[in-house]
Amino acid sequence: MNNLINFLTAGILAAAPLLFGVLGELLTEKSGNLNLGVEGMMFMGGIAGIVGPYYYEKAGGTNPYVALVIALVCALVCAGLGALVFSVLTITLRANQNVTGLALTMFGTGFGNYFGEAIGHADPSGFLSVSASVKSLFNSPVFPAPLVNLPVVGKLLFSHNFMVYLAVILAIILAYFLGRTRTGLNLRSVGESPATADAAGISVTKYRYLATIIGGAMTGLGGLYLVMNAGAGVGGAWVHNCINGYGWLAVALVIFAVWSPTRALWCSLIFGGLACMRYYYPISFIPASIYDIVPYIVTAVVLVFVSLKHSRSNQPPESLGLSYFREER
Amino acid sequence: MKKRILALLMAGMLTVGLAACGGETSGETEASGGETAETAGIAAEDLKVGLILVGEAADAYNKNHIEGMQAACEALGLDYDTQVVVKTNIGEDSTCADAIGELIDAGCHAIFADSFGHEQYMVEAAPDYPDIQFCHATGFQSAADDLDNTHNYFAKIYEARYLAGIAAGLKTESNVLGYVAAKPYAEVISGYTAFYLGAKSVNPDVTMLVNYTNEWSDATKEATNAQALIDQGCDVISQHSDTSAPATTAETNGVFAVGYNDDMISVAPNAALVSARINWGAYYEYALNCLLAGEAIDQDWCGSYAEGACYLSDLNEAIIADGTKEAIEAAAAGIADGSVQVFAGPLYGVNADGEELNLAEGEFYAENENSSAPSFAYIVDGITVLS
Repeated sequence: MNNLINFLTAGILAAAPLLFGVLGELLTEKSGNLNLGVEGMMFMGGIAGIVGPYYYEKAGGTNPYVALVIALVCALVCAGLGALVFSVLTITLRANQNVTGLALTMFGTGFGNYFGEAIGHADPSGFLSVSASVKSLFNSPVFPAPLVNLPVVGKLLFSHNFMVYLAVILAIILAYFLGRTRTGLNLRSVGESPATADAAGISVTKYRYLATIIGGAMTGLGGLYLVMNAGAGVGGAWVHNCINGYGWLAVALVIFAVWSPTRALWCSLIFGGLACMRYYYPISFIPASIYDIVPYIVTAVVLVFVSLKHSRSNQPPESLGLSYFREER
Repeated sequence: MKKRILALLMAGMLTVGLAACGGETSGETEASGGETAETAGIAAEDLKVGLILVGEAADAYNKNHIEGMQAACEALGLDYDTQVVVKTNIGEDSTCADAIGELIDAGCHAIFADSFGHEQYMVEAAPDYPDIQFCHATGFQSAADDLDNTHNYFAKIYEARYLAGIAAGLKTESNVLGYVAAKPYAEVISGYTAFYLGAKSVNPDVTMLVNYTNEWSDATKEATNAQALIDQGCDVISQHSDTSAPATTAETNGVFAVGYNDDMISVAPNAALVSARINWGAYYEYALNCLLAGEAIDQDWCGSYAEGACYLSDLNEAIIADGTKEAIEAAAAGIADGSVQVFAGPLYGVNADGEELNLAEGEFYAENENSSAPSFAYIVDGITVLS
């Protein structure tokens, strides 16, 4: 029982960074933009999110709350900038989205590792890391001790760090925004049929820009989580290549969740659980590498079923991956 | 037109990113002329060597090699910047063959490579260049092949691990240690067994859980792995993996960590007890000295703790258990004079092929007897491999 609770808790911790990535990419894809640069934007968010508080503390700052705000802002802005580059190239200049996204992934990976190595190497300790007070602020439970200490539910529901709850709240907000608001409807129409949306007076360019940049910024929080939070991430220090495929998992998860923020919640929980399952429930005859490829196999299977089923609601946005040329209407 | 300029700018930005991803070559690469056919030693100012590194110059493992080479150069009065050609980010694939070719073209008298998978490329190149010395860390083939110019080197890291295990054995309260292991190879198994036996030497009740990540360096997997060990009751985590993630994970969970390759105290000040480290400089100084003196380099070199080829980083005085320092010093003296054997009986274990090891009291397993690469691959009683 104890092992099960520990496993589920670890699964939730591993799911949170994925959830940020999925939600960001989902918002982006709903506007018709397929941004394959999630991995790169996570790297950018992660490195900026630790470099910000690192320099704040180097400059003599001691308030962990200020450091936390700096980390969040830096991660959002830096990943958002990556998405802005992508937007300019694909929306304004109508470059191929796949190629641009891949380039963004390579750029972000190099960007993160380059600055991580350079700053860490320049530090007398050899590490790019933040102080214990900032680490504990990112990692300690937000709920008071009596709740955390409740049997079973305490650990499962109330023991997590604030980033976990932030991810869940974002998912709920996104679900409400896409399904229940006029702006959300407009955004979806831009993703389904930009020509129709354009004719109805919706600015395709504006919606795509905003969705891509805000979505990119959200994926940056996933990178920040992997750098700052323990359990699934490093826990307050930069490590070479620490994002390591989480961005690609997020892209796969958007398909697995069939473009629904609420489904993304439990889908990322499944992926997170799979990531740590073998450490809690090892099955001796299954090689570890099988566990690692399960998420991708599942995604491929879901993709097959989605295209076989032809359900009207569970489909990717109609114009996903296509640039919009007004002149070609 | 405007759009084109903008596109060019954007593309330019991304190219910079690509360049940052790619490999870098530092030091001089142009040929220095001068054929190498001497036996009477090489003049200090003419000596040129190549160093092939598997990853970034800044990561702990490769940094240790660079620092070792720098120290050796300094000790021998060589100029590191001009006499050592460093190739970083050389994978265990055909890029290694290319790097070896470039270093030969650059006129290197000796080539050092630091990753296990580099060995096959070294062995392929060696017969064609009998005057160039090919020295490979962590490999095992040199002692067996007929080539005089291939060499292997390593350190008796299990001795340092044993001593680090003493710090863990004295610190643990749950009497369960956790070990984040990279891959189920002899190098790793020998290391964690030594660590466990060190802990057991001061704390007979201790047991250890081991989880493999199956990667040498993967921060998120190492973190998840360490978290799982802590969840299962481990209160001191050690590692054979490259990143600081196990140490930081231990710190966030309020338990302790014993590191490897790098002093982790600055990144996890409330958790890191001590680290076992290899001093590659000991070998580099020895090998370069042989080249200068015109002597043959050992086919297989394995430096001990007593020789300084491996060592412990500074103990974290604030959190180590009382008496740790004295216990480590006593054991180190015992290892040096042979009265303490790391893999000493009574010891029972089974390896992956089902072969048993059963040592009685007074017997011991002689590690590194035939090669500098570790060979102990038995899972002994008290260690549980989870996954």
